[in-house]
Amino acid sequence: MLNSFGSIFAFAIALEAQMRDYYQAIGAVERAKDADKRRQNLERVRRENVTEIKLEPIDGLDEADYVLNLDGAESQRNAEGLALRFYQDVAPKINVREAQRALERCAKQYEAYLA
Amino acid sequence: MTRRVKQYINGSWVESNASTYTPVINPATCEVLAECPDAPVSEVDQAVKAASAAFEDWRRIPVLSRAQYMFRLKTMLEERFEDIAALIVSENGKTRDEARGEVRRGIESVEFAASVPTIMRGYRLEDVSSGIDETAERQPLGVFAAITPFNFPMMVPLWFLPTAITTGNTFVLKPSPQTPLSTELLFELLDELDLPEGVVNLVNGGKDAAMAIMEHAEVVGVSFVGSTPVARIVYETCAKYGKRVQAQGGAKNYIAVLPDANMEASVANIMGSVYGCAGQRCLAGSVIVAVGEAYEPLKAELLKRASSLRVGYGLDESTQMGTVISSAAKERIHRMVDQGVQEGAQLLLDGRNIKVEGYEDGTFVGPTILDGVQPQMTVAREEIFGPVMSLMHVPDFETAIEVINKSHYGNAASLFTSSGKAAREFKYRVRAGNIGINVGVAAATASFPFGGQRDSFFGDLHGQGLDSIEFYTDKKILIERWL
Repeated sequence: MLNSFGSIFAFAIALEAQMRDYYQAIGAVERAKDADKRRQNLERVRRENVTEIKLEPIDGLDEADYVLNLDGAESQRNAEGLALRFYQDVAPKINVREAQRALERCAKQYEAYLA
Repeated sequence: MTRRVKQYINGSWVESNASTYTPVINPATCEVLAECPDAPVSEVDQAVKAASAAFEDWRRIPVLSRAQYMFRLKTMLEERFEDIAALIVSENGKTRDEARGEVRRGIESVEFAASVPTIMRGYRLEDVSSGIDETAERQPLGVFAAITPFNFPMMVPLWFLPTAITTGNTFVLKPSPQTPLSTELLFELLDELDLPEGVVNLVNGGKDAAMAIMEHAEVVGVSFVGSTPVARIVYETCAKYGKRVQAQGGAKNYIAVLPDANMEASVANIMGSVYGCAGQRCLAGSVIVAVGEAYEPLKAELLKRASSLRVGYGLDESTQMGTVISSAAKERIHRMVDQGVQEGAQLLLDGRNIKVEGYEDGTFVGPTILDGVQPQMTVAREEIFGPVMSLMHVPDFETAIEVINKSHYGNAASLFTSSGKAAREFKYRVRAGNIGINVGVAAATASFPFGGQRDSFFGDLHGQGLDSIEFYTDKKILIERWL
C-alpha cells in the first residue's frame, strides 16, 4: 500500500533497483547507472526529509497500479512510462517540498528517456 | 538464554550485578528481545565517579576538537539510520516512518551540538571603568545526567548528551528499562568514536537508579522527560540536593478548529498529531475542540479518516499506526475510555477490540474517538497517552481558549484556522509552551528550546536550543585591569 511517506519512498527505491537490474540485463549501461543514482538519491532524501511534524496518512494511491512488467518487446518503453506515471502521481502527495522535488526530478528523467 | 543489556561505564561495556531484570518486549510480536538490569546504586556510583574523574581532562580538550566528535557521530548515525529506525520499531512499536523521524530529529540535535564552538562563546565589554575590561565566559560544570522515557528512546537522549559533552561536561544516561536497546546502540556508536574514558556512561534501571543519580553529590544537573508526577519528584529531589534540573512532564494537548479552517488539510494533520506514535508522545493532540459550525464537518471527516487508518506492525511500511508500549499501557487506555463513557462521552469509534492478523497478542489499540466530551470529564483533563481522541464542541473561540487555559497541563496547543487575527490571539493568550498554527505537532526543532508550561514542565531552562547552552554552562565574570 502506498499510504505513507515511507511506503512511497520504499516503493520508489525498489522500483529503481528493478530498473537498474533490467537496464543492466539489456546492456543499457548509462541508464543502469542513472537508475542506481536515483535509488541512492531517494534513500538519502528519505533519510533527510522524514519530518515528524508533517507525517500524515496518504490516500488515493494503489501499489497495484505501478507493478513493472519487464517482459516483451515494448518492455523498456512501457516500464519507463509506468515509472514516469508513478512519479507524477506520487510527488503531489508528499508534503515535504525537498522530498517532492526529488520525486519530480525522477519523473523528469523518465520523461526525457521517452521523448 | 535471553541477552542481557550491558552498561557502559568508564569506556567499557560491563555486565551489571543486578539482582532483578526487566524484560524488554517487542510490543507487536511479544518476543522478549532482552533483559534490562535494574542497576544497583553502586553501579550508578561507578558511572558517576567515572564521569567525574574524566571531567577535568575533558574540559581541557579544545572545544573545536570536542565538536569534531559530533561531526563523526552524525556520520555514523546517518550510516546506521535504517538499522536504528528498525530497532526503535522493534522495542517501541511505533511505525517505521515515525522511527525514522525520531532518528532524524536526534541527528539534528547532534548537528546543533557541532555548532557549540560558535554558540558557547562569551562576551566582553571594554572600559566598564577607566582601563578596566569585563568578560563573561561560559564554563562547563561537571557531571550531567539524563533520565529518559520509552516513547523516543533515541531522540530524547540526543536532546541532552551531545550538547552536554560538547560544552565540556561529562555525562551519565539512564534510559527507560522498557526501551534500552536503542540507547545501547547509540553507545556502541559513541564507543566507536573513541571518546576519552568516562566522558559518556550508560546505566540501566528504574526508580532506584534514578534516585541514585538525583541524590549523587557529584552530579551537577539532571534532565528528565516523563510523566508529571515523576517530573515533580525529580524537580523536588534535584532541588533538595542542589542540582540544576529540567523536568519535562506529561501533557494534555488541545487542538481547536475554527469553521474557517481548511478542513481536509487540517484533518490530515490532526490524524498525525492524535494517532502518530499511537498517541504516545508529549505533543500528541488529545482533545479536539470544534468551534461552532466546524463541529459537524470536522466530526464526519475525523471519523472517516480515523476509521481507515491501517494499524499493524511498524516494520511493515504500509502500517500507519503501531502499538502502544505494553499490555499495562493498553489496559490503562481501555480503562480511560471506559471512564469517559461512564462520565457521559459517546464512543464514536472504538479501537479497543482491534485484532491485527499475525500479531494477535500485540498491544494494539485502534484509533478511538470519544464524542460529546465535556471539560470536567477525566478524559478531557488527564493524560491518556494512547490513540484516543476526545471531541468537544464549544460555541465560540473565546470558550475554546477558556477551556484550554483551564487545563493544568501546558505542553502544547494548536489552532486550525485561516484567520491571522485568531491565530495571533491564540498564540498570545493560550498558556502552553508550544503553539501550533495549522500544525498539530508543535515540536521545537533542535535550535529552539523545548519545554512546556504549568504541570508539563518543572524548571527554568528548557531542553534544546540556546537554553541547553545555558543549562550546561555557568557564566564566569572576569574583571581585569593591567597596571
